[in-house]
Amino acid sequence: MTEEKLFTMVGIRPESATPEKKVSRRKGFPWVSVVLMTAIVLCCLAAELLMTKDPGYLDLENFNVAPNGEFLFGTDTLGRDIFSGIWYGGRISITIGFFATVIATFIAVVYGSVSGIAPAWLDNLMMRFAEIFLSVPGLLLVLFLQAILGQANVLTLSIVIGVTGWASIAKIIRTEVRQIRSSEYVVASRCMGGRFFHVLGKHLAPNFVSCVMFMVVMNVRTAIVTESTLSFMGMGLPLEIISWGSMLSLAEKALLTDSWWIIIIPGTFLVTLLMCITNVGNYMRKAANRKGSNL
Amino acid sequence: MRRNPALYYGKKALVFLLSVFVLSVAVFYISRLAPGDPLMSYYGERTEKMSVEEKEAAREKLGLNDPIYIQYIRWVENAAKGEFGISFKYKQDVMEVIGSRIGFTLILGGIGFVLTFAGALLLGVLCAWHEDKWVDKILCKGGTLLSCIPEFWLSLALILIFAVTLRWLPSSGAYDIGYKDDWLNRVTHLILPLTIVVLQHLWYYAYMVRNKLLEETRADYVLLGKSKGLSKKDIMLKHCLRNVLPSYISMMAISVPHVVGGTYIVETVFSYPGIGALSYESARYHDYNLLMVLCMMTGVLVIFCNLIGGIINERIDPRIKANEVVQISEVTVD
Amino acid sequence: MSEILLDVQRLSHVFKLGKYAVIKAVDDVSFQMKKGEIFGLVGESGSGKSTVARCIMNVYKPAAGKILYNGIDVCDSRAFRKHRKMLESSRQIIFQDSTSSLNQRMTVEKIIAEPMSIHHIKPPRGSLRAEAEFQLSYVGMDSSYLDKYPTELSGGQRQRVAIARALSMEPELLVADEPVASLDVSIQAQIINLLRHCNEQHGCSILFIAHDLSMVEYLCNRVGVMYHGKLVEVAPTAALYANPQHPYTKALLSAIPVPDPIAERNRSHIDFDETAFDREGTMVEIAPGHWVLRKEDSQ
Repeated sequence: MTEEKLFTMVGIRPESATPEKKVSRRKGFPWVSVVLMTAIVLCCLAAELLMTKDPGYLDLENFNVAPNGEFLFGTDTLGRDIFSGIWYGGRISITIGFFATVIATFIAVVYGSVSGIAPAWLDNLMMRFAEIFLSVPGLLLVLFLQAILGQANVLTLSIVIGVTGWASIAKIIRTEVRQIRSSEYVVASRCMGGRFFHVLGKHLAPNFVSCVMFMVVMNVRTAIVTESTLSFMGMGLPLEIISWGSMLSLAEKALLTDSWWIIIIPGTFLVTLLMCITNVGNYMRKAANRKGSNL
Repeated sequence: MRRNPALYYGKKALVFLLSVFVLSVAVFYISRLAPGDPLMSYYGERTEKMSVEEKEAAREKLGLNDPIYIQYIRWVENAAKGEFGISFKYKQDVMEVIGSRIGFTLILGGIGFVLTFAGALLLGVLCAWHEDKWVDKILCKGGTLLSCIPEFWLSLALILIFAVTLRWLPSSGAYDIGYKDDWLNRVTHLILPLTIVVLQHLWYYAYMVRNKLLEETRADYVLLGKSKGLSKKDIMLKHCLRNVLPSYISMMAISVPHVVGGTYIVETVFSYPGIGALSYESARYHDYNLLMVLCMMTGVLVIFCNLIGGIINERIDPRIKANEVVQISEVTVD
Repeated sequence: MSEILLDVQRLSHVFKLGKYAVIKAVDDVSFQMKKGEIFGLVGESGSGKSTVARCIMNVYKPAAGKILYNGIDVCDSRAFRKHRKMLESSRQIIFQDSTSSLNQRMTVEKIIAEPMSIHHIKPPRGSLRAEAEFQLSYVGMDSSYLDKYPTELSGGQRQRVAIARALSMEPELLVADEPVASLDVSIQAQIINLLRHCNEQHGCSILFIAHDLSMVEYLCNRVGVMYHGKLVEVAPTAALYANPQHPYTKALLSAIPVPDPIAERNRSHIDFDETAFDREGTMVEIAPGHWVLRKEDSQ
């Protein structure tokens, strides 16, 4: 193209872009949650440094002791120090939550993408299946699978929770892929020569990542809750492996002895971590769509 | 395409039966794969003292030695007659065991379901109405907190407060011994479990209603209504809410198994004699017959509710109706 | 004598609606485009113009017919694959809806540079950014727009970005599917002039799809009229507007408003009788280059 004088443009005014209004992306950023969450995770990772006593040691002389100078959070019915147990066990709970989500997300991405690209009948079938999966009370499914696998350990538990948690993410991915697949910029991109991976990387992925991030974060939360509920019911990790869930499984006995610290303290940590995760997730969801109300 | 209602419902019924069949086969096989000995649940600790021949004889008697597909066929034959076998643990006919306990779960789950969805609708509208004001903010924060608390922990906490410390409410069972027909007694026993069931699910649906309503308020027709002078109440209730209701109703249909069937944790913690706790036990202790029937019941409920939800969706969603109109009028039929 | 760039032969395409119904969007359409000409395709909504455009661009695989581009049959997958690179760079398309044809998450610079980066072409002006800047200035926007997102631009600006993207590859054939339909009149004029400039200075052939007849009269060399999937008349612009033959064309042209208010009020327009529309018939050449859809036995 030669750079000669341009043709006449009717009614043209010199146009220059309006300076960008600085919409602060920091608005609403959940500082407290992120800081708290990081603090808890770091403490759990650095458990060895923080522990005052061996968390697995059954100090039978000192069982059911209320929080005092020596045992900062008290001891449980078996005599284990709860303070050390929180940090050490937190590792396990967080690990399970993380791994289960990774597994679930991976399954969901594959399933959702295939369903999104598939012909209508296959897509229908796959989505029916996912919906049925979704409406079965998740825990029953986990119970069922866990009963088959026998004694649980961190790995099997992660797998079981992951395998039962993919359905919600998969639905979202499939909807997004279906929608994006026929939008015009994808058509344009393919017209001008974009192959599958180019379209996937440049057009599809950036558009569904933001929608999915929220669900993934929520999935971590669900996984942690599932693990603790399972351990509580006795189907999760055995008592010897300390996690927040297994600590809480002693809680029923605690009721009888009125040892509130066994229930309240691990529970508080659990709830706090989950709240932080939820806040981060909500922030991500809000950041993905901003628009004002017309009402 | 809904030319013939008989054909339409007939196809749905066929899908239903097929799914049920697949489900039954799957549950049957999988439950047999689990490690652990069903003899344990039948004979308890005596199993260990039994000699090998006695164990063999026991297995033969319980029909556990035959190949799985024969066991399955036998089960189907019996099921068709209405006999679902004997629970190994309770030594009673499975249907009797279930029958004696299903009422409790239905009461808990049913009332919980109604309260949850009514409450969720109210809360959702309330939040959307006062969007971004302090009412909405407090409710959202509170609701998020609530949804983060694991069900069992909440149960324990409430028991600690209300039953142990304050001694206002009983902590377990459906009724005190001897007070079976005293409905006031029953109600006090129901309060705590019901609270947990409702609180567990309430915020999830309330948040959904809130978000859907807010999305509706972003639509252009709301702006139009406002410019025409409609009051906020009219726009919100007569227009936005009406648009949200169809998907809410189909959501309700799909959530029935989730809510009603999700009472097992509450039942376990409160020792409430419902079938939720029964499912958990039968999975744990390999009580095959009981497990089969319970799984089948849950599965059938799930499949049925999904079908209903689908039918409601198709009937109510006007976009699908519009498509049908286009099809009939403008087109050359091939 | 300019050669034939695009030869559409007996193109047909159908859409399936559910299981029982089928819509014949394009029914046995044939026409030719020469190199360097602007060909206008007009018709009411639903007449199949966009479908023709998308078939030509290989978005849909046509149910029947052949499309020859520079002699290559683009409907044949083997021939297509063999000449893929050439076909993908020398033919570009501009869509009607600029909001959905630009990826909201890409900046203007990335959008314009996309075709070049797909084909790994070394940008003649140094970097991809400089190239994008040049294309933008060509369509009348300055470089401050490079880092903006499509949602921050107005409709006219978005459409100009889409044109810049198409022109960056210096295409031989530009398919413009109602590019100005949703824009206001002064912007429309700018874009039309831009297209004309492209055609005159750079020899770009344009397939211009529209339903605004006065615009088509201004811009195009030849015009084809479509109705319900069939091509009813094709002729050089002057001949078509002076001497329309098919009843539908006559009705269409009589509906064009005249700028003079008095004349406009006194004007009456012809109604087109839909039931009299005859789908059967072939294209009959009644004058050099002027074809009309007609039944053989009628005069």
